[in-house]
Amino acid sequence: MPILSEFEYFKPSSVREAVRLLSKHKKPAVLAGGTDLINNLKEEIDQPDAVIDIKGIKELSGITYKNGVLTIGAAVTFSELLDSRVIQSRFPVIAEVAKTVGSVGIRNRATMAGNICSAVACADSGPLLAAYEALILVRGSKGKRKVLAAKWFKGNKRTDIKKAELVTAIEIPLPARRHAGCYVKLGRYSGEDLAQASVLILALPGKQYRVALGAVSPVPVRASKIERLLNGQHLSDELIAKCQALIPGLISPITDIRATKEYRSHMCQVMFARGIRAAASRFSGNGPEYGVNLI
Amino acid sequence: MNGLKFVGHEEIRIDGKPKITGAAQFVDDLDFGPGLLYAEIVESPLAHAEIKSIDTAKAEQMPGVVKVVSGKDFPFRFGLYMHDRFVFAQDRVRFVGEQVAAVIARDPVTAKKAAKLVKVRYRELPAILNVEDALKPHPLLIHPDLKSYKHVPWFFPQANSNIAHWRKVRKGDVEAGFKQADLVFEDTYTVPRYAHCAIETHGAVGLFDYSGRLTVWAASQSPFTQRNLFAEALAPLGLSHKDVRVIAPFVGGGFGGKAGVSMEILAAALATAVQGNPVKILWSRAQEFYNTYQRQGLTAKTKIGVKKDGAIVALEQTLHWDAGAYVEYGANVVNAAGLSATGPYRIPNVKIDSCCVYTNLPPGGPYRGFGYSEFLFGLESHINETAKKLGLDPVEFRRRNAIQEGDPLTYGSKMNPNGLIECIDKAARAIEWSKKEQSENPKTVRGKGFACFWKAPAMPPNASSTAFIKFNEDGSLNVLVSAMEIGQGFQTVMAQIAAEVLTVPLSKIRVELPDTDRNPYEWQTVASHITWGTGNAVKRAAEDCREQILELVERALGQKREDLYLESETVRSRSVADFALPLRDFAINGIMMKDGTYRGGPIVGRGMFMPEFSSALSDAETSQGGKPNVHYTVGAAAVEIEIDKETGRVRIPRVALAVDVGKAINPGLVRDQVVGGLVQGIATALYEDMRFDAKGRLLNPNFTDYKIPTAMDVPERVIPILVEVAQPDGPYGARGVGEHTMIPAAPMIANAVENALGIRIKSMPITAEKIALAIKSKR
Repeated sequence: MPILSEFEYFKPSSVREAVRLLSKHKKPAVLAGGTDLINNLKEEIDQPDAVIDIKGIKELSGITYKNGVLTIGAAVTFSELLDSRVIQSRFPVIAEVAKTVGSVGIRNRATMAGNICSAVACADSGPLLAAYEALILVRGSKGKRKVLAAKWFKGNKRTDIKKAELVTAIEIPLPARRHAGCYVKLGRYSGEDLAQASVLILALPGKQYRVALGAVSPVPVRASKIERLLNGQHLSDELIAKCQALIPGLISPITDIRATKEYRSHMCQVMFARGIRAAASRFSGNGPEYGVNLI
Repeated sequence: MNGLKFVGHEEIRIDGKPKITGAAQFVDDLDFGPGLLYAEIVESPLAHAEIKSIDTAKAEQMPGVVKVVSGKDFPFRFGLYMHDRFVFAQDRVRFVGEQVAAVIARDPVTAKKAAKLVKVRYRELPAILNVEDALKPHPLLIHPDLKSYKHVPWFFPQANSNIAHWRKVRKGDVEAGFKQADLVFEDTYTVPRYAHCAIETHGAVGLFDYSGRLTVWAASQSPFTQRNLFAEALAPLGLSHKDVRVIAPFVGGGFGGKAGVSMEILAAALATAVQGNPVKILWSRAQEFYNTYQRQGLTAKTKIGVKKDGAIVALEQTLHWDAGAYVEYGANVVNAAGLSATGPYRIPNVKIDSCCVYTNLPPGGPYRGFGYSEFLFGLESHINETAKKLGLDPVEFRRRNAIQEGDPLTYGSKMNPNGLIECIDKAARAIEWSKKEQSENPKTVRGKGFACFWKAPAMPPNASSTAFIKFNEDGSLNVLVSAMEIGQGFQTVMAQIAAEVLTVPLSKIRVELPDTDRNPYEWQTVASHITWGTGNAVKRAAEDCREQILELVERALGQKREDLYLESETVRSRSVADFALPLRDFAINGIMMKDGTYRGGPIVGRGMFMPEFSSALSDAETSQGGKPNVHYTVGAAAVEIEIDKETGRVRIPRVALAVDVGKAINPGLVRDQVVGGLVQGIATALYEDMRFDAKGRLLNPNFTDYKIPTAMDVPERVIPILVEVAQPDGPYGARGVGEHTMIPAAPMIANAVENALGIRIKSMPITAEKIALAIKSKR
């Protein structure tokens, strides 16, 4: 299917140049992996006057880990996240999330930065970054700023990004020397699918937990209420049931072609119970392998 | 049938290498040079509306646009079994996506841009989006001129209604049957619409040259039927059959979707508007979903009467088919299902009403299974429930009622030889039917499900197949037939049949893809009839070659005709031990006599097969008389499933399907059919589902939301079981098997779900969500 609309194509080699191009054009679009943008161009959902391809910008590539902070460049693909040694050893749940994004072909192109810029409610990166309290690094003509993940998502397909700004990287602080996590994603079958609901759980030392839910609200939901109930407590069936009971009050799932709100809500509870047990047992070193589908 | 050297052997498929290496060419791979034009369709945004005006002026002015055409340029109706479909919409549109006009341009982008400039004014009409609304008293008529439409003699359109065809079957006395029954019960089952989802979308290129010849290259299961329908529809332009040529290169999957004529008519018609230039039309994935054929939706009301001992004494089936805007092909699905809606059971009293109902949804049509998957979902679910109510094992219940050779069919004639009982027993044994499986995981539960199936080819009684076999100088063969290779391995099977008769190895045989100029007539590659029908034609063509060869050797060399036979590409004689004449020595150039003259010449065999015993004529009110079906292929399938009680997800540890193929010409290919068919069938049971909004727009014309299974979703173990009770009129005893491997899947899964959970789900698909929410509401 051809792209009908016309636009100028740029491939800048520096962030500064990219930002300059962004401010120069009325309706620019940023091209990283293109797995959302190209479809939107074909379907005329996006009709930009300029497409700015950031894949040629060296400073946006690469994954670094320094002083307890993981930095993921804006041009880093999900496949690179999956293959990263430092992610596998220190942040394995990031790889667990990456593995559920699309298919191999999609993961070879799609970027996490693109995922949070498209910011659809079912984005897999949403609950992950919310739980990790990640920072989104943004550069504009007036300089840099950092936005906390919780403030980044403003609604379905809406973010905190301002005109002529470019996401340059995502910073994920290591929450503790030792931690574990679990991502459970609801799809309609075992093949690749968009999340109909997702649960991301981090288990930290001292029986501390972080819980985030995806695809059941316009933005990722950090379940602080549940965290307060869990923190410091022994993970009993009773406690889990209490947490499950809180879930419907925290989310606002929709009914659409992919799932009903009843099923999304029900599955959040199921996924929470399985996810929290898996995260806790992973923390103790005996949980299911990362990447195993729990539902 | 011992001593077969090729038939019954697992020969490697001959189309495998070209497909794997990329040598195989598909329609979109063909090069038509710089003169190629591209067409883009202007589609109806409304499900039902009158067309008030079409303004093409702006589009015509766009540079690069060659021509813009619409209904006024092609005021023609066409269709396979009923002439109710239009090349372009005329005074009204009947589904969202229907073709209203087309732009032909020098490149696809210009064509697309210009198509947006065509202005169509509509007056919206109320859209009828389901069967209930279509059948209300005094409905809005979707086809007010239905009465005047030409159709085959075995269709019965109902005047002043939206019923395009009503197949009635009355056998015995159904009311008396219910009276004598110990248990009578009734339920309703629903099946949504489905899409074929072939990996290659539809595409066609048409060229109308200055000699007045129309050639269409199409991704097609039906080149000759297309030629016939193109010639019929375009006859007012002065075209006759001899002028029309259809060439079908390799096809990336059909499943019925590329049978008959759907979008291909556009390539044929548009070519006539731009004489001298080839014009290409290629469907997008979305168009593939909404403007080809869809599998029709079904609401089935099933009422059964049984005796305490398990004998079925009466069955009433009311089948209402959501056939869509045009039923030129789909009405025959309704017909076929109506004639066979008893399933493979011996039932003395039967009443079947199978109604083909127009709606303002996309046209229904052929899809692997041809109606049988749809009615079997309800029937085989109902059979299970009946067994449960009687306290009988569902396999035993089926076994007691299984149809056998000589039993009367719904329309009076007799059932063919078959191994249904053997299939039932073997399928049950393969999954240890009587063993109750306990799940080790407390969150999951296991269940087993069973279903029988049958299906006959649905074809006109005179559907024919023809074959030519041409010998070459080196003794190699070109087999010319016009069936289509759609993944089933038909080329390999035809080569095996020719090889068996002529003792020529497969490495020396090419089976050519269809070209209506070069290859002889074939009705269509549908109905699972190719191995049987075309196989018979190829066998006869090979025998014709053999007769010519032996006759020549007798005539030229004085060998005794009755002693001659073929062995390893050589003519031998039972009476003259050292006589050995290789075929390559004379197959083209004949045999030289002592005086230097020659006898013989190029060996060309001809074979034809038409089932001359078949007739579609029968009583309109009862369907008695006639013999509309040539034979049934029967079988049984059994599955073990594991359900996660919290998520509703279904895992399939093992599934078995036993089918009586008569004779497996290539057992490996048949087993592959079993795997492929089951996967496709299980997908309709668990995942797939077409959804429309309140305006009749398809909500999921894409693979994001129309879920076909991936490699991760297939059963863990598939056990194909081939039963061989010979079909007397089949080549080496073979009968069809292609569609059958899919059709028991849905009820088999539904029955397993019921067995595991005690929950009967009566609407397809049986998604994880449906199961989980049903478990929740049961608590």
